Amino acid sequence: MTYAAEISRANPACIVFLVDQSASMSDPIGGGAPQRKSEVVADAINRLLAELSVKCAKEEGVRDYFHLAAIGYGHTVGSAFTGPLAGRELVPLSQVADRPARVEKRVKKVPDGAGGLVETTTGFPVWVDPVAHGATPMCRALARAEALVSDWVGRHPDCFPPIVLNLTDGESTDGDPTSAAWSVQTHVSADGAALLFNLHVSATNSVPVTFPTSDAALPDSYARTLFGMSSVLPPHMRFYALQQGVAATETTRGFVYNADITSIVQFLDIGTRATDLR
Amino acid sequence: MYTSSLRAPKQGNSPRECEDAHLVLPRCEPDDWLTGPVCAAVADGASESLLAGEWATLLATSATGAAREDEDVLRDGERFAAALVDAGEAWREWLVGYVAAREADDRPIAWYEQPKLDRGPHSTVLAARFAGGPSATTRWDAAALGDSCLFHIRDDRLLRAFPVESSAAFDNSPGLVNAFERDLALLARHVRTASGEAEQGDQVFLCTDALAAWFLHETERGQRPWQVLGEFTPHGDLDGFSAWLERVRAEGAMRNDDVTVVHVDLG
Repeated sequence: MTYAAEISRANPACIVFLVDQSASMSDPIGGGAPQRKSEVVADAINRLLAELSVKCAKEEGVRDYFHLAAIGYGHTVGSAFTGPLAGRELVPLSQVADRPARVEKRVKKVPDGAGGLVETTTGFPVWVDPVAHGATPMCRALARAEALVSDWVGRHPDCFPPIVLNLTDGESTDGDPTSAAWSVQTHVSADGAALLFNLHVSATNSVPVTFPTSDAALPDSYARTLFGMSSVLPPHMRFYALQQGVAATETTRGFVYNADITSIVQFLDIGTRATDLR
Repeated sequence: MYTSSLRAPKQGNSPRECEDAHLVLPRCEPDDWLTGPVCAAVADGASESLLAGEWATLLATSATGAAREDEDVLRDGERFAAALVDAGEAWREWLVGYVAAREADDRPIAWYEQPKLDRGPHSTVLAARFAGGPSATTRWDAAALGDSCLFHIRDDRLLRAFPVESSAAFDNSPGLVNAFERDLALLARHVRTASGEAEQGDQVFLCTDALAAWFLHETERGQRPWQVLGEFTPHGDLDGFSAWLERVRAEGAMRNDDVTVVHVDLG
């Protein structure tokens, strides 16, 4: 149980994204931001997929260090991919990178080299669209993730443990998800138990929280439930969290509240990191 | 002195995918006895970079060339840093041709490559120069940025390890030279230099990190890893070396990574 297995094409890792697509996701996110929760989670998952693709990109293409699934849950439970990958569950990363539904033009601010910021247009690949329709069958979604994880560790017994990342507003409508969340984490490779992380998007106007060590600062029962469902960060992930300025301890969990979770890609080791001198 | 080298990819990767590089000047065969100055470099491209192997090759070539042209470049951190900046200039020129070739090949840079291309590749580098002095000794000078290591062996014991001295000091975030880094002072702050006197019979090994970490770990537990490497390097026995690597990796004694060793045998 070391979470130190090599992630390679011969020994790939599996990441399952669960995307809440229920009707409540059409509400705006808290904090006065103009976006709806469904847009926030779709952007988050698209950014994560793009970051992973870039991380694993080599000159001959993207290497299949990861196989990814995006499972939506709302009106139904199933693949959340749109475009060429629609309907598919676990997909090798190279195919994800080569087959976005579209590449949108987004404006972002970048340093102008003189201490200020300047707007520039950048390509934003999209695999998952914002959807807000139906109830929140989180237990069924977690059960689907568990099935994928179980099958994966059966076929890759020495793999880096699968990671399930649930992006939701936390309002499960098919029961308390705690038990289903626990079941996901009972599947074990030689390197450790599957990890479940949660990104909670909320309409509540509360302070964003990133990788907390307790639920004391969380604003409601949904957040506390999701915190309790989340895995403790393994030691090497705590190390990288510390490098990113998170006061990570042995009780820090993979939970983020109304904050960016893209940094989690930096928790994954695929070899020597391309780090600039300081 | 005799020089020889071996280079092998990470288990599961093809030789073409190896992102380590090395160069020894003058170019020679393992059984050629060299009397003039010998310059050698190893470089280890970062796995997360794009075109890491190409940058490592250019860096090893530039560092070896600079050491050959100017005997002081490895004795002074700022001069070595300037050589690294020069290598970056060469990279910019090389990259223009690469991008044009990709376009001509109807394989333009993909969206997922562009951010890494813009950021530039990263690599460690270690260069050394060996030159006979007025006495029977050979002076060596070395400069390094990152965790590629030089080991100086005398009388069957490790005399000097540079720049990393302990197996516990290796991690997956070593100091790296970025091809677009032009901050001379920053680079110079991270460059380490060392010099020594080698006698007849001494052995020097230049190793990239996985092999270097194994080498130091073996030494720390009272073993003689130079003898193990010496079974393969003098004859350029890549098949034997690769079979041995497979064994030690399977035993968990060495991290699975690209591996390069340059052996300088003082005779």
